[in-house]
Amino acid sequence: MATSVTGLELRRLAEEASSLASVVRGSLGPQGGQVLLTRPTGEILLSRDGERVLRALNLDSPTARMMITCLSTHCNLVGDGAKTFIVLLSALLQEIEKLDKGSNAYFFKTHRERNKYKEKGYMMKQVSQFLSVFQVEILDPLVTQKLGKHFQTVFSASGTELNRTTVKLVLEAYFCGKVGYNRQKYMCQLAYNFFFKTTAEKDRNEVLPLVDKYFPELHTTVTGLPVSHSQILDGLVLLRDFAVYCPSDGDKKVLIITEPIHSSLSQLGTEVAISGESQYEASELWITKRTKALMKHLQDNNIGVLLSGIKQHEIVHYCAKNSGICIVECLSREEISLICKITNISPFQPSLDNICTEITETAIATFCQPLQIGTKRFVHINFARTCALQPCCVVFCGPVHGLNEQHACAFHGAFKMLQHLFTTIHLAECCNSKPQSQNFPNAVDNLQQYPAVQQRFVEMQIDCDSDEADTGELKHCEFKMKVLSESEDDLLALSQKYPKEDTASENAISEDDQFVCPGLKDKNSSSNVHGQQFNEEICIRSSHTVSIKCEENNKTDIHRHTNFCIKAGSVMPVGGIFEILLNYYLSCYAKQCQLPDISVLCTLVADVLLTVPKALCRTQKRSAFPQLYLEVTSALRNDQQLLPKQKYLESVSYSLRIYSSSATEAKKRKGLHTVSSAKHILQTSL
Amino acid sequence: MSRVDLKKPSLCTSEPLAKETLCHALSVFAKMVRSCYGPTGRLKQLHNGVGGYVRTTSQASALLGGLSVTHPVLKLLTASVQNHLARFSDCGLFMAIFCCSLLEKCQGLNITPCTFIKISQHLLSLCIDYLASETCGCRMQVDFSSSKIPLDLVRSIITSKPACRLSRMEANHISILVLEAFLFTIPHNINTQMTLGKCLYIPVKNKQVLDSAVYPGLLIEVPEVDLRNTPPIKRDTSGMIKMVLFSMSLSGDLSDNGEGVIVIPHGVYLEAVVLAQLLNVGKQIVKDGVGVFVCQKVIHPALQQYLKENHIVAIERVGLPLMEPLKEITGAQPIPSLQFLSPACCGHLKDLQTLSIASKWFFHLIPNDPVVCSVMLCNRNETAWDELKLACQTAEHVLQLTLRDPWVLLGGGYTEMHLSSYIRHMTSTVEGSILEDLSCSWAEFRMVADAFCSSLESVACSLDHDGGNICTDVKCFWSVPPDVPSRSDWSDLIWKCGCGLCNKEQGLHWRMLQCCASPFPPQSCVHESSVTSTNNLILDCFAAKKNGLQVAVETASLLLDLSYIIEDQN
Repeated sequence: MATSVTGLELRRLAEEASSLASVVRGSLGPQGGQVLLTRPTGEILLSRDGERVLRALNLDSPTARMMITCLSTHCNLVGDGAKTFIVLLSALLQEIEKLDKGSNAYFFKTHRERNKYKEKGYMMKQVSQFLSVFQVEILDPLVTQKLGKHFQTVFSASGTELNRTTVKLVLEAYFCGKVGYNRQKYMCQLAYNFFFKTTAEKDRNEVLPLVDKYFPELHTTVTGLPVSHSQILDGLVLLRDFAVYCPSDGDKKVLIITEPIHSSLSQLGTEVAISGESQYEASELWITKRTKALMKHLQDNNIGVLLSGIKQHEIVHYCAKNSGICIVECLSREEISLICKITNISPFQPSLDNICTEITETAIATFCQPLQIGTKRFVHINFARTCALQPCCVVFCGPVHGLNEQHACAFHGAFKMLQHLFTTIHLAECCNSKPQSQNFPNAVDNLQQYPAVQQRFVEMQIDCDSDEADTGELKHCEFKMKVLSESEDDLLALSQKYPKEDTASENAISEDDQFVCPGLKDKNSSSNVHGQQFNEEICIRSSHTVSIKCEENNKTDIHRHTNFCIKAGSVMPVGGIFEILLNYYLSCYAKQCQLPDISVLCTLVADVLLTVPKALCRTQKRSAFPQLYLEVTSALRNDQQLLPKQKYLESVSYSLRIYSSSATEAKKRKGLHTVSSAKHILQTSL
Repeated sequence: MSRVDLKKPSLCTSEPLAKETLCHALSVFAKMVRSCYGPTGRLKQLHNGVGGYVRTTSQASALLGGLSVTHPVLKLLTASVQNHLARFSDCGLFMAIFCCSLLEKCQGLNITPCTFIKISQHLLSLCIDYLASETCGCRMQVDFSSSKIPLDLVRSIITSKPACRLSRMEANHISILVLEAFLFTIPHNINTQMTLGKCLYIPVKNKQVLDSAVYPGLLIEVPEVDLRNTPPIKRDTSGMIKMVLFSMSLSGDLSDNGEGVIVIPHGVYLEAVVLAQLLNVGKQIVKDGVGVFVCQKVIHPALQQYLKENHIVAIERVGLPLMEPLKEITGAQPIPSLQFLSPACCGHLKDLQTLSIASKWFFHLIPNDPVVCSVMLCNRNETAWDELKLACQTAEHVLQLTLRDPWVLLGGGYTEMHLSSYIRHMTSTVEGSILEDLSCSWAEFRMVADAFCSSLESVACSLDHDGGNICTDVKCFWSVPPDVPSRSDWSDLIWKCGCGLCNKEQGLHWRMLQCCASPFPPQSCVHESSVTSTNNLILDCFAAKKNGLQVAVETASLLLDLSYIIEDQN
């Protein structure tokens, strides 16, 4: 196999990104089309999920594959935004290419006498470095301060109660991007009902991770029926039929077993020596007696249902039928683990031969009956006194399996999204000393231009119960900010000790400023090109907990984040508003910026941001995008309420995240460019 | 494979529905399903190129199961039809034809797929609401106290499968048999946990269809040698025959001893132990006065001999599928192990007879309450038999569905025409609010409604394979034979209406289907008198047709929404 090394040109990267973008552009937005994927097994899947579509392409080119890997890591964390990511990346690369081809006058006239090649590389490196600090120094403050005015929240005025209509709007906006056009409202309603049913009377922050983890067990798919037959059922649906069914009413005691009740003469891996016929007869008799005694013990303890992880012997079935015990066999390990989690019991162990004491590890089932869906029969069971979550099961119906799978994935993603919605994110503070700050002295100055921000949180002020919330759809903000922080960490060493002065500011922090720093390192370390230690500081402020956990970090101690925070539940209008706003503020910033190169690059990013709303508006009339743009900017200039009749709302942190990811991506490309451009074509054969 | 292989890049197609290959494939598929539809449908022969099983059929389940489709869009379509058939067994071709028509019509229009999908969903909801409403003109209530409508329903299904090659008399006979079998499966005792019984089909080929019969209870095939010199069977005091049922293997081998290793010294014979146990069981059985001994698996020959000497009928190797029916009709509990033999596990039979049909021998187990019945189905050759069995199973399933939703729809294309004129009538004037909800214009709405209705009409028109035309009037639609000279008077040529209920009356105004007349509210053909007086009504299953309609529109929406196809080439 021959490996070849070729010089990497920006043009090729831009072309690749734009072809990837053209694949997903058709699926972008609520009126986007679906993509049909075939697996190597012949299975047919439907998807509008950008990540899945791009991964199915199985591309040859290593740079394209790298783009897709970065997209995957982004999606694994955030759960959405893949198409926007790739569209932005492609636009960003194209713009930078144009910049490259265009006038180099801005950059480093002093180096003209050098080799033009090296100069180009140097310029790209500058761009790359700029982008890395761009996010923290410029984007974060802009979002939190300027755009913060436009945020809305899913919480009601009192602060802890959820405003149901806004949650619904958030879900609707999510499903608009994930499922087919005529099913968005229906799926949204289903998700909304499911969400409120499972989190009824339980702690949201506990329930949502559980739903996320056990989602495969909490849903069933049925083919051959129309989508409108999908429904939510109380309790769990186990994907097995009853092995033994004894109909009866009322509550039943449930026992979980993962071992065989009827033991056999010899076990796998053991040797049994039988010396005579009578010994054999006696052993057989003993085994049967033991099984009978065990089953009698179960009957004495009034066990009504036996949930077994393995197949039990016929003798066990016979005894169970006689004692009125129902048996469900061959449950998967995940189902057993979910049931144990919900009911807080552990499996019964018949091998302990403990028939004297009472069986305590039982749960109570309010009902346990067969359920016929489509052509198959399942077991429908509900438990009383559940601890972690109130189990509800979704049944997805559809004409084909691929559609059901798409709906199930969208549902799962919606819950991941909701999980993130209810967390607060503090943006990493931009520190005073930076490794690459020598080119951007103004960046620090700019930071100090926002002194008021240093000490205060950006609050979400706008009331949520106003009319505009009712008419629109919301996406939450958390995502964007999160991605913002984490992807920056590739190059940016945030592991700086804060100067001592900050401790004074700590006292100014209000009492309820407690934060938890979870470990979120795993996500982007893989995509770290330069091998620098990155350090994530995403602090989640929980209004209830006091615990402070610090992320291990070899250089610093607890980082206080006193500024730039996006509170849990922040949402914003969707449909490109975020991008237009950011574009507006960035352009304003660029205009007032002293350094010409930063200004140029800011304008570049600002222009790139507009590709997203343009793509979203492409299905409407021609003049839709310019109209929208005009509306937004004039409202901003006149300091008016932004688009009171806006129909769609979207999330701030989401977009930010995406932009920073794409910025990082673009910057990595430059990194690649400088590294590989030093090599020329080599041929090595094995 | 543990080897890591380089993956081939996938094949991508954008805007698949605009591509020539797919359009061609879809039109071929549509022609194929259209030509199979109805009692005069053309048969299709399925075979692979290397000499495998050959099947002649016109039914959707056999047809689609035997086709090997490669294009992913077509695969999606056929998978959708097959999923519907798995659930409802009927109206598969209806669904396929309707879906293909919708796709074809949409491509002819200059409307964005989004708008088409929205509007067709709205029209579908109009249809479904109409079908569920009281004033629906195409459905009839099923009165189970009389056998007329269920019999007509079964007959419609049997006669719509031309590959069975049944004459009218044979079709009648089979329909009566199927209905009789279905009635057997309804249990006598009503309790809360009732389930319908089963119908087992016994194949007998190379015989006349009229020789088919229904036997209440089970027919178990046995080798001929067992039935010579069978003595009278022992009965207990109440005249019933006691029966024991074993689910374990009585072959005397030591198979049930776990997965480990058993070490036996020389001179120890465990098989002898097991045989002694078996003979003990035999003695116990004789003492208990059991008349029939049934085992799911093999019976040891020594035990069989012993039982024969003691005049007990032994039936071995009945297999797992018959265990459930045996349990149900006799009330016997399958015994899992020799230590569990007890009088309480015995079941009861009313009678046991022997039968011989076409050189096969059967034991006929007759229970008290025959919820399980066996249908001895005869047909001339194998391929016709397969078709007939499929048709009978479809009819049985349809009867079960009708039991749950006691409605039938008028068949012969009437329901489609009726729905089509209803939609045309309802969409002739549309409120502005609806247009706003759907965010489309009046013209677009009209175009899509027209496409929807003509798709429905095309389904009805596909029933006719001889090139005839259809003309409609206020009540029904009438078929006209082809090649009619334009000047002649049609009223002489039209003699039969689509639903079979209407008579040719004077004064009815007919017009051709394709000409655009003003829409009218459709009147129902269903009147009490006409229903009871007409013989041989053509009826359709309500639940299956309704679901077929819904799933067809959904599948069409799904396919129209595709913007890209990525095929993995590995």
